Amino acid sequence: MSEVRLQVQNLCKTFGVTKAVQNVSFDINKGEIHALIGENGSGKSTLTNMLCGIYTIDSGKFILDGQEVHPVNQVDANNKGISIIVQELGTLSGLTVAENIFLGHEDRFVKHGIKNANAMNKEAQTLLDKYGFNRIKASDMVDLYNFEDRKLVEIVKATYFSPKIVVVDETTTALSQEGREELYKHMRRIRDEGNTIIFISHDMQEILTMSDTITVLRDGVYIGTKPSCELDEDGLKKMMVGREVTGDYYRADYGEPISDEVVLSVKNVTVPGQIYDISFDLHKGEILGFGGLSESGMHEIGKACFGASYNRKGTVTLANGTQINSIPTAIKNEMAYTSKDRDNESVVMNQSIGDNICMPSLKSLAGALGVLSKKKMRNFANEYAKEMSVKMVNTDQFVSDLSGGNKQKVVLARWIGKDSDILVLDSPTRGIDIKVKQDIYQLMDRMRKSGKSIIMISEELMELIGMCDRIIIMKDGRLNGELMRNQDIDENTLIAKMV
Amino acid sequence: MAENKNKKSLMTKLRPFLPIIGLVLIFIIFDILTGGKMHEVAKLKLLLSQVYVLMIASSGVFFIMTMGGLDFSQGSILGMASLAVCYLSKINMILAVIGGIVVGAAVGAINGYFYVNRKIKSFIVTICTMFLFRGVIKFMTSGAPVSGDLLTMMNLNSSDALKIGLTLVVVLIGLFLFNFTGFGIRLKAIGAGEKAAMFGGIRTDRTKFLIYVLAGAITGFAAFIATIKTGSVTYSAGNQLETQILIALVLGGMPITGGAKASFLNVIVGSLLYTVLSFGLNMLGMTTQTTQLIQGVIFLIFVAIFADRKSLKVIK
Repeated sequence: MSEVRLQVQNLCKTFGVTKAVQNVSFDINKGEIHALIGENGSGKSTLTNMLCGIYTIDSGKFILDGQEVHPVNQVDANNKGISIIVQELGTLSGLTVAENIFLGHEDRFVKHGIKNANAMNKEAQTLLDKYGFNRIKASDMVDLYNFEDRKLVEIVKATYFSPKIVVVDETTTALSQEGREELYKHMRRIRDEGNTIIFISHDMQEILTMSDTITVLRDGVYIGTKPSCELDEDGLKKMMVGREVTGDYYRADYGEPISDEVVLSVKNVTVPGQIYDISFDLHKGEILGFGGLSESGMHEIGKACFGASYNRKGTVTLANGTQINSIPTAIKNEMAYTSKDRDNESVVMNQSIGDNICMPSLKSLAGALGVLSKKKMRNFANEYAKEMSVKMVNTDQFVSDLSGGNKQKVVLARWIGKDSDILVLDSPTRGIDIKVKQDIYQLMDRMRKSGKSIIMISEELMELIGMCDRIIIMKDGRLNGELMRNQDIDENTLIAKMV
Repeated sequence: MAENKNKKSLMTKLRPFLPIIGLVLIFIIFDILTGGKMHEVAKLKLLLSQVYVLMIASSGVFFIMTMGGLDFSQGSILGMASLAVCYLSKINMILAVIGGIVVGAAVGAINGYFYVNRKIKSFIVTICTMFLFRGVIKFMTSGAPVSGDLLTMMNLNSSDALKIGLTLVVVLIGLFLFNFTGFGIRLKAIGAGEKAAMFGGIRTDRTKFLIYVLAGAITGFAAFIATIKTGSVTYSAGNQLETQILIALVLGGMPITGGAKASFLNVIVGSLLYTVLSFGLNMLGMTTQTTQLIQGVIFLIFVAIFADRKSLKVIK
């Protein structure tokens, strides 16, 4: 029986009304790669963020090698033997590679108040060489390197001091196959040295091949821990979702032809610093997906189509020739938009559900002299809130009280009420639990069938593959390939075009 | 625990009525302290005569504050508009009213331009314009006060019906627009979350600009009532009106950060409450200085108790 490295005991964390982690307890052993999986919002990142001192703990504790640890920040966590490699960029621009590697530990190179940059660079270079990353120079600015290489720098940064626990948080999604292999190699090395990896990933295959033990979380609750050799992909899914996942989670059809009718035509759209020379057509009844890395510019495309981009060049034209240059024009012409930044750009948080739903439809709801009947508004809001089955007391409740999924339902209710024909949905299921996700997918499928057109921008490759008729991949602000709906596409096909 | 929750919900239910209860209480307290003088007809008339300008000007600032903005230039707007009213009253009274509105709107447009187009926080812009136009007023009134058509003005001023009527018209239009049309919902949405409001189809920039113009115009209109009372403009015309408005609105229950909890009732109750308070203190024989000191303390206490700290950072 292997020794226990980390005990998680009765851990709790809430954000407002959301219980992100509820009374979670389990053990992690020495010398293992311990995978942590669950749907979005299941609490896995919240848990590891608490371990690394990024979030504070509400209640419960972590016991590392028999001693309670309570890191107050990441440097403190490092000193206690815990480090993390994150999903997004974890290196700081404007610093050298060496400065990034020793961030927070510069004191080692300071003598009499003066930093010895040479010594720092030298030691960093030794580390880089040891890891086999000779092509990276320690004294270079980290900005000179691409995403992949910066990730490698992060690997060095997080592991050079042989920490007892390394958290690898969804790092692999952003890496090419080569980069992944590099990361896997070091994960195995760390394990074989007797230390522990906590591995978070959405790729089931990766989890099953890489990890020794798997812990499943669902909606912030601990579901179970099993050796990975006892599990297969279906078994994992069942644990994650809590029931058999049927085929109709995403839409099930394949091979339906896309209509020739173009409803929205985007030509040569450029937003300086964000996207360059983007042209594409959206067809009637089509779900057109946009995928890419978070910084690929794909989120700006949604804003540009909706007339919300500052400083946009190029044209966005509807079938009837109308140019979309401002948000009110877009809305007047039955376009809808949900933002990735839901709390700031989609819902007005400190306003009632009713006002939020009625907002774009005020003109059509108003009677003579612009008089709005309170009753009519309430009925309107109720009708569409009910259609989207928003969980609420009544429509006077403030949106800020709702969970992420319900907020998104309010946004969708608003646009369904407006009877929009073209929907630009940016990250529609971001941070939403699996049940509401399924509702949203089904809604999108119904809308598609009724002839509405959808642009879906998402960082979740599986939902793009599962829902879209066409997927356009973005890279560095430009279009970088298009894929037609096909059963044989997998995430790796998309990732290859993304990085 | 459950008790605590009940208490809290009772407090939330009561909160919208607190200013009204406060108004009644303060009136009664002063009435007792002054030995019943407060409810004498002559005193009531005097009290009322101090409400008009404040209540009208507060309506415009109320719209601004609902959007999460502030306006410290209101006193200078009143002074500038009063100058226009005085000059033009010698030609025609109707022209004087229009002139006041136009000048007020023009200053509001300057505020709006720098706030919206040059993207400077509203309190900084309006503090600048406050000083700027106060300077203009002092320049124009240096030497002697600017006087208007005294005779017509005195005649007009003697008619309480006119002044009550004009105030009612402004307040009722404001109330109607705010409560019964999309206007109020849009302003509240901008105050509660400007970016989200913009993505919901509200022309936020245009609305913000026009509201500053509107607030200037409304105060320009109030300048007419202010001017017929005195017949002339001195360098201090409209001095501190902005703080009076701010205090009145906050006393009336206006959330200082604006947003969905703003209610037009705040204008009516707030301006009455402020006037009763300063009138009462005056009746008790307090000097202007002491009155100001007490008002300052009360304002601080109200803001400290009622300000929603979570949204304080959104004051624009």
